[in-house]
Amino acid sequence: MFRRILALVKKEFIHLRNDWWLPAFMLFGGVLELMLVGWATSRPINNLPLMVLDHDRSAASRALVISLENTETFALEAMVDDFQTIEDALERGEISAAIIIPPDYAEEMAAANGTPSLSMILNGAESIPATAALHAAEGVAATLNEELIIKRLKLSPDEFSGFAPRLRVWFNEALSEALYTTPAEMGLMLEFTTLLFAALAFSREKELGTLEQLLVMPFSSLEIIIGKAIPVIVIAFTDFLLMLGMVHFAFDVPIRGSLPLLFILAFGYLLVELGKGMVLSVIAKTQMQAFLLVLLFGMTDFMFTGYAAPVESMPKALQFFANIVPAHHWLEILRGILLKGAGMDVLWPHVLALAILGTIIMTFSLRFVRRALD
Amino acid sequence: MTPAIRTKNLTKYFGDFTAVNGISFEAKRGEIFGFLGPNGSGKTTTIRMMLGLLTPSVGEVQALGISVSGNQAELQQRTGYMSQRFSLYNDLTVQQNLQFYGAAYGLNNVDLKARILDALSMAGLEGREDAKTKDLSGGWRQRLALSAAILHRPELIFLDEPTAGVDPISRRAFWDLLYQLVADGVTVFVTTHYMDEAEHCHNLAFIQRGNLIAEGPPADIKAKMMKGQVLEISSSDAINTVKILRAAKEQGKVSLQEIELYGSLVHVVAPDVEKEKNTIQKLLKNEEIHVEEMALIEASLEDVFIASMK
Repeated sequence: MFRRILALVKKEFIHLRNDWWLPAFMLFGGVLELMLVGWATSRPINNLPLMVLDHDRSAASRALVISLENTETFALEAMVDDFQTIEDALERGEISAAIIIPPDYAEEMAAANGTPSLSMILNGAESIPATAALHAAEGVAATLNEELIIKRLKLSPDEFSGFAPRLRVWFNEALSEALYTTPAEMGLMLEFTTLLFAALAFSREKELGTLEQLLVMPFSSLEIIIGKAIPVIVIAFTDFLLMLGMVHFAFDVPIRGSLPLLFILAFGYLLVELGKGMVLSVIAKTQMQAFLLVLLFGMTDFMFTGYAAPVESMPKALQFFANIVPAHHWLEILRGILLKGAGMDVLWPHVLALAILGTIIMTFSLRFVRRALD
Repeated sequence: MTPAIRTKNLTKYFGDFTAVNGISFEAKRGEIFGFLGPNGSGKTTTIRMMLGLLTPSVGEVQALGISVSGNQAELQQRTGYMSQRFSLYNDLTVQQNLQFYGAAYGLNNVDLKARILDALSMAGLEGREDAKTKDLSGGWRQRLALSAAILHRPELIFLDEPTAGVDPISRRAFWDLLYQLVADGVTVFVTTHYMDEAEHCHNLAFIQRGNLIAEGPPADIKAKMMKGQVLEISSSDAINTVKILRAAKEQGKVSLQEIELYGSLVHVVAPDVEKEKNTIQKLLKNEEIHVEEMALIEASLEDVFIASMK
């Protein structure tokens, strides 16, 4: 039995070597994608182009523009004289934001009961920079407001005190987006790699017409499954190690929890996806069909992992569905171990869910694939 | 000794469609048994049931004296199979393919080494061990596939249209290999639709639309199925000869069963064709066709095949 499985594994690796671009694409493509996502999201959003239409042209209005520039979120693109220029620039997508300062800005600031105002226009077509711009502008306005109140109440700044919330972010102190995106991307890449390689296992031989020959050879269906599974496991786990090294060393994603626990659970998760992939593999008649099925399943899973949209804000029925998607639990486990340093005492509900789902999927898969092969 | 293959009332339904309809036959050990039939007649379905890849709806197959169902593991070691579609891995080299086959059948390394050398010399591929299988031409690949399929020295080997799409010289070389195998005591079960190949089999079974319509040695089949004699006519205009004779047959002027064109010759079939000779001569003379020769010949399998498929 062992010798026959070894023969199959050897053959599978020869195929992989001959068809080297696919494993290479999956291994390095995954790492590369992760690098781009990490790089793009690890940088703060700054230097958003800003246009200013200053009707006031006073010391106060200049101070306002300088405050906005000092946030580093904005870079002054131009001071303009008419609104048309702003409209054109926004339409062409050249600027993220524009500020219009009314002619009475300095006057209203100085008056005892004045209500200074300003207009801001944001390019909402790109919601992420627009949100960052909004937050920065609100911050500047709040500071100005505070200064104005202190001045009008004729208080010294030291005497002033008010509501002072102390906000602390745990697990990702700098709220770095890379710490959120890269572990999730990495978890999903592991799913795709495993599913795809598993899905090609039988569909490929079916397409080439060699599966029949394999079935009349003295392999038992279990031997065929094991022989086909081992290369998939090796590739997927290598991919996982590469990606983990990548996010840890390049993007400083911490590994706060136990590394052995992470490896064991990653391995367990990989087996669950392997089971799914093998089912797709015997359903598909060609490699192209297998690929499309993987895409379909992968995208559905992706929607329910909680990465794109939090599971908590989904309708109840969909929340239930999210709980039976293994990738959802896997991402919770992955983030828990990496960012929170969580152990089994905390993660057990997800591990249990994964174990139950895994047992069901693997049992079904084994029976289904064996029946298809016999 | 028990027969190499015995089927009893072997039947396969796919829904309402009867692919194989209660066929029973036997193939003796050490012979080449040809399984003939047009495309879609149920040949591949039958072979798949013999291999245990399909379960019969009704009936049974015995191979080497044991029932196929439930004994697949043993039979897999004792039989070989070469499928209609190419059965080797194209991206593997000759050597890698043979090694995979050997290891799959549990050959130890010492045996395997010797047998790979045998297989290479049998396929005529010495010195090309490292060639990718896809780079070999059709004939070489078929011979390599056969060598691989017998690497574990099976007692019985199934070949499903092994020479489809291969040039005549390679087909000839392939059949020489089959004779060698039979000389060593192996039973060969082969499906084909090349009639010249069928003539080379020891025994034949004809299948049509899932029904077994004839069985036996080629000569017996010809005698049994050919209800008349074949007259070969060589004339100055073969195409018009066929037209004239067919028209005459329609009008009842001549009693012939078959009138077929064979290249520049015409074959006509009748129970007692000698009696029709004069009529034929006369009919053709009226149309100014010169008959060069008219001779009674032995029916070929192709004559039988065409006559029986009508």
